[in-house]
Amino acid sequence: MIEILQQIVNGLAIGGVYVLIALGLTTVFGILGIAHFAHGSVSMFGGYLTFFLVASLGFPLLLAILVALLIGLVLGVLIEWLAYRPVRNASHINAFIVALGLTMMVEGLNLEFFGHEQVVIPTNLSRIFDIGGVTIPELRLYVIMAAALLIVAMTLFVEKTKTGQAIRAVAENRDAAILMGVNVKTIPMIVFSISTALGVCAGVMVGSLFAIAPGIGQWLVVKGFAVLILGGLGSIPGAIVGGLVLGVTEALAAGFISSAYKDVIAFVVMIAVLLLRPQGLMGKS
Amino acid sequence: MLNIRDLKVSYGPIEVIHGISLDVNEGECVALIGANGAGKSSTLKAICGLVPVSGGKVTFEGRDITNLSGHAVVKAGITMCPEGRQVFPQMSTLKNLRMGAYTRNDDEQDADLERMMGMFPILRERAHQAAGTLSGGEQEMLAIARALMARPKLCIFDEPSLGLAPKIVADVAATIARIKETGMTILLVEQNSLMALRLADRAYLFEAGEIVLSGTGEELQSHPEVVKAYLGH
Amino acid sequence: MKLGVSFVTAAMMLAGSAAFAAEKTLDIGVSDALTGGAAVYGLPQANAVKMAADEINAKGGIKVGEDSYKLNVIAYDDQANPTEATNAVRKLIDRDGVKFILGFCCSGATGAVASFIANEDAVMLVGNAAERSITTREIPNLVRTRPPADYTGAAAGTFVAQKGHKKVAVLGALDVGFYASYVDAFEKELNKAGGEIITRESFGLKDRDMTPQLTKIRELNPDAILVVGYVEPAAFIYRQATELGIDVPRYGFTSGSEEQFLRVATSEQMEGVWDLRPTELTLLSASENGKAYHANYTAKYGIAPSPSSPYAYDQTYALKHALEAAGTVEDTAAVAAALRELPVPEEVVMQYLPVGGKMFDVNGQAYTSNGAFQWQGGNWVFVQDLPSDAEAYSKFLSTID
Repeated sequence: MIEILQQIVNGLAIGGVYVLIALGLTTVFGILGIAHFAHGSVSMFGGYLTFFLVASLGFPLLLAILVALLIGLVLGVLIEWLAYRPVRNASHINAFIVALGLTMMVEGLNLEFFGHEQVVIPTNLSRIFDIGGVTIPELRLYVIMAAALLIVAMTLFVEKTKTGQAIRAVAENRDAAILMGVNVKTIPMIVFSISTALGVCAGVMVGSLFAIAPGIGQWLVVKGFAVLILGGLGSIPGAIVGGLVLGVTEALAAGFISSAYKDVIAFVVMIAVLLLRPQGLMGKS
Repeated sequence: MLNIRDLKVSYGPIEVIHGISLDVNEGECVALIGANGAGKSSTLKAICGLVPVSGGKVTFEGRDITNLSGHAVVKAGITMCPEGRQVFPQMSTLKNLRMGAYTRNDDEQDADLERMMGMFPILRERAHQAAGTLSGGEQEMLAIARALMARPKLCIFDEPSLGLAPKIVADVAATIARIKETGMTILLVEQNSLMALRLADRAYLFEAGEIVLSGTGEELQSHPEVVKAYLGH
Repeated sequence: MKLGVSFVTAAMMLAGSAAFAAEKTLDIGVSDALTGGAAVYGLPQANAVKMAADEINAKGGIKVGEDSYKLNVIAYDDQANPTEATNAVRKLIDRDGVKFILGFCCSGATGAVASFIANEDAVMLVGNAAERSITTREIPNLVRTRPPADYTGAAAGTFVAQKGHKKVAVLGALDVGFYASYVDAFEKELNKAGGEIITRESFGLKDRDMTPQLTKIRELNPDAILVVGYVEPAAFIYRQATELGIDVPRYGFTSGSEEQFLRVATSEQMEGVWDLRPTELTLLSASENGKAYHANYTAKYGIAPSPSSPYAYDQTYALKHALEAAGTVEDTAAVAAALRELPVPEEVVMQYLPVGGKMFDVNGQAYTSNGAFQWQGGNWVFVQDLPSDAEAYSKFLSTID
């Protein structure tokens, strides 16, 4: 029993990261219908940036995260404006190629600026909590809590604010949203801005709890899209449920079935879900 | 209130509206009638900024709104209730209505919401249901109520009866009549010409991208060509 | 061009040089992972080759017959990727006209090149790549400075068995061939002493969260755990093992530097971890050559050398002596033959165990001693040699196809 609980706790941290990545991908997909492959690499850039601010410039960790977040907000606007807006009215293959090109560019920049060795954001958090036999390192607990907080904040933003509702409206019916007075030029900017900021948070979490290295971004974006398909394309609740399901499934698969095939098992679970619900866990048919 | 002069609209190299002029005065209900593809909907889309204007001028309350982007037209006070309802299917009825008030910042939105629920009791029943699960008639009522939530100065209805059962069409007509009684300025596009002409103070007949006839609703109802081609007696 | 050469010659004569033989340049190639995940091994190797070449040049170059050659290093990035490595080597041979190729940190890329190098007019010197099959086919123009993983694995198994552990849990990058072969050889020796491997858990190259595997291992109550894999994920395993409260002895096969581990784990979390590996470069175990290598490398590149980087440094000196012994820079077959006959050169950093008095055996394989290193107070401390038998392993290697 304790082992199962421990495995669920193990899976929650990476599941939270998956959710944050998937939230960014799913809102972008909802609004623009594009697969923003560069998202993982941009997230890693956020992690690298935080590392740089802490390790090289001596910023306190929280300040560094805040600065990286703000830069993420601006970066998101720039990505929408410079990369995706020019191909907004072209066929989807153009946006697809832009996304691939952007991925290579950001990966290249990361490599150029931050090198090839893995980078771990120093946190100095080394306490370990033991709750009834389930061990949780302090840092892991904070990551899970921060992810939960961001997920709640994102949900409230989308459900309770006018801008959030406009984002949903554009995703559901772009023309009708225009007729409601929604400026459909600024909404994608806002979406990219928020998505990138969430991605930066995910990058910081990966970078402090695990490590950032070349290739991690692409690995994360593949997981993010798996979550999207599992949860339902464009669905925000789907991203949340899908991310947690994938994270915990991976942990349980590695712990109870086979660590060599944990990704395979996770994808088999995904395929099984899609056979029963082709629209995803939370997608509307 | 709304004045259109020599409006031309093209899709690529093909011109579909060949320089039309029409006016809608404050408090009036004006109908655009004509066959499918005559250019009625393109005219509306051009007014609302959904398609670009290639020639001519659109003024609203004396202000030039030609080629203003869609959201700016809404801010200027024109709201369209689009063809095919176009509700946000996964959002609740309540959230659809709130989206209608997107451009407003006043604190009377809740009161207006109450008013709409009073006007359309079915929407109160369906308040927390996803709009996509409503029946066609219910969705039409929702779309109309949503348009009114913007407190527009000019409300445009694009084919409100399209695809609805005859009984519901009568409900929709009655609803528009009620809205008209509140003093709302209305521009109505309708293929159901009889319904449109009964509601309208004045009407324009479109044929192949041009206005071929105009007059009061009653005049057109009895005009021999209209009777022959559109009213089907 | 001729005018240029005579000007140089004239200038040298004016400067009083006694060298009448022309000063020539010999291009040597490096194919290695300069970027990507494996660059932690590849880049230091490329640096080590350049440093050795600079040292050789500073001492007058390589003397072949009447001529003396200055070395010029052309390094290409193969990203540890078989396709990229094949391209890099083709470019070196076909376009740059290079006949001697060094580097090769990683088994996948190295295996791809080894598969066709026998047909080329070139000599290949392999460094850190540990996959056994690279030297089982007795390719005449290929030698390797690093011993295969299972040579070390067997020694490690004997060592752990001698420590009295019976139930060992393995967590490794087991989809990588040479790590799996290390564990296989380890298991064979462990079984001989009555011990057993109770579980083999795996992780991928990009995995950094090994808590699911470790949680499972924790439930099995092993006497010891064995971690085999690249340093970057391995560091996370050591950290997460302590975080989960696993307090049994931890053995490993990772060859990471102190700096690489400390980036991930604290020194307290690393305390007591064993690394059972070829006796590579650590300051405490190093010979005079090793200490000089460490100091020169650090001064030249501003960062400490990785423990495995001397494999490439030693390649360069082995090549130098083979060229001088063969007396040619053109006849690659002669140079390859000279490598097989070479005694261990005095400049090398690693502590090679010669087989039949020669650095490389008939398979082209060199053997170093294996050592047990333990993390003590922030450093890898050399504790003892592992019981390794180079002669016996060399015979065993010759029996494999």
